[in-house]
Amino acid sequence: MIRDSQDVIVKTLARLLMPFIIVYALYVVMHGHHSPGGGFQGGVILAAGFVLLVVSHGLEQTRKRMSEKAAYVISSIGVFIYAGIGVLCLLLGGNYLDYGKLSKLLRVTPAEARSLGILGVEIGVALAVMAVMFTIFFVIFTVGESLEDNRSGK
Amino acid sequence: MEVTLLLEATENAFRIMEKAREHALGILDTAVQFTGEQTRFLEEKRWQVLFAGAQRRKTRFQNFVGTAFILFGFWMLLSGHFDAFHLALGAICCTIAAYLFHDLLFANVRVGDMRVVAARFIAYIPWLIQQIVLSNLHVASVVLRPKMPIDPQIVTFKTKLETDISSVTLANSITLTPGTITMDIKDGVYYVHALDQKVAEDLNAGEMEDRVAHIFMEADHLYVQDVLDAARIYDVLRA
Repeated sequence: MIRDSQDVIVKTLARLLMPFIIVYALYVVMHGHHSPGGGFQGGVILAAGFVLLVVSHGLEQTRKRMSEKAAYVISSIGVFIYAGIGVLCLLLGGNYLDYGKLSKLLRVTPAEARSLGILGVEIGVALAVMAVMFTIFFVIFTVGESLEDNRSGK
Repeated sequence: MEVTLLLEATENAFRIMEKAREHALGILDTAVQFTGEQTRFLEEKRWQVLFAGAQRRKTRFQNFVGTAFILFGFWMLLSGHFDAFHLALGAICCTIAAYLFHDLLFANVRVGDMRVVAARFIAYIPWLIQQIVLSNLHVASVVLRPKMPIDPQIVTFKTKLETDISSVTLANSITLTPGTITMDIKDGVYYVHALDQKVAEDLNAGEMEDRVAHIFMEADHLYVQDVLDAARIYDVLRA
């Protein structure tokens, strides 16, 4: 079981830095076409932000913001976005993940449609990576105990 | 003779009953008074609770908007693009992040006006930089002598700061000025490592603590007992 850190400096600075870490991770995701970054990198930074919250404030406080169940759902949503965009391109008459066909839906040029399509799948990848990294961390550090509590208590 | 005794007895009985009746009326009056006060007290409490709920929702919305603005400024600092697409993306991302984490940034806000605190904080930074420069010169002059007259000591002092943000600001300011390092804060007591006696004396003088308390508007309570003491003096002076 992870206890929160007793130091007031660590707790305060961790909670002050958390929103900035999240915004930095989203910046990395959104600017994948222009600077180093993209979906995987941004997702890992997002997960690192939540891990910082766990290490400084304890498991219970972080569960209120991101419970394991929410992490499962978010990972599924991420994969759904990725596959969904691919299937959408199929439905619009192209190949799987042929973003050019999205121009019919979004009313932009095919080049811009490709850029937007890639951005969309990067967002899906970021969500999935964040959820999976967070779940791995949770499971390793609670040694699987928390799942037992949830099942037996409720 | 018996008749007068009987008459006296009945008179006494009537007097006792009168007294009992007045007594009972007095009890009833106080009971009515108490219940009247109770209902008024309950009504006032209800208004207070309603008002506090609305106040909390308003401060939560203010925190949300403030956080969103600060995060959007951070986004514009990071991203060099200022065209509509990237700005819109930034706005969406910052709104989502602010919605999820607005209670993290402004957690223990006790004062009503954040703008005053922010302005005072920005005015504090040049003074801090000046202190850093002065301490730099002093530590360099101490360390670069061949004899190196350092006198390392640990200074403990109890702080008068109340919230965690002010404590952390003071701790970071102490660590930023060369010559002092905050080791720990336990139960409101600071454990600071100082390089020599002059630096320790500067720390004990407490000017940095006063300035940090002034930023966050803390430790400047008006104590009622002090006002009462002062009032007596004013009376004497006036007469």
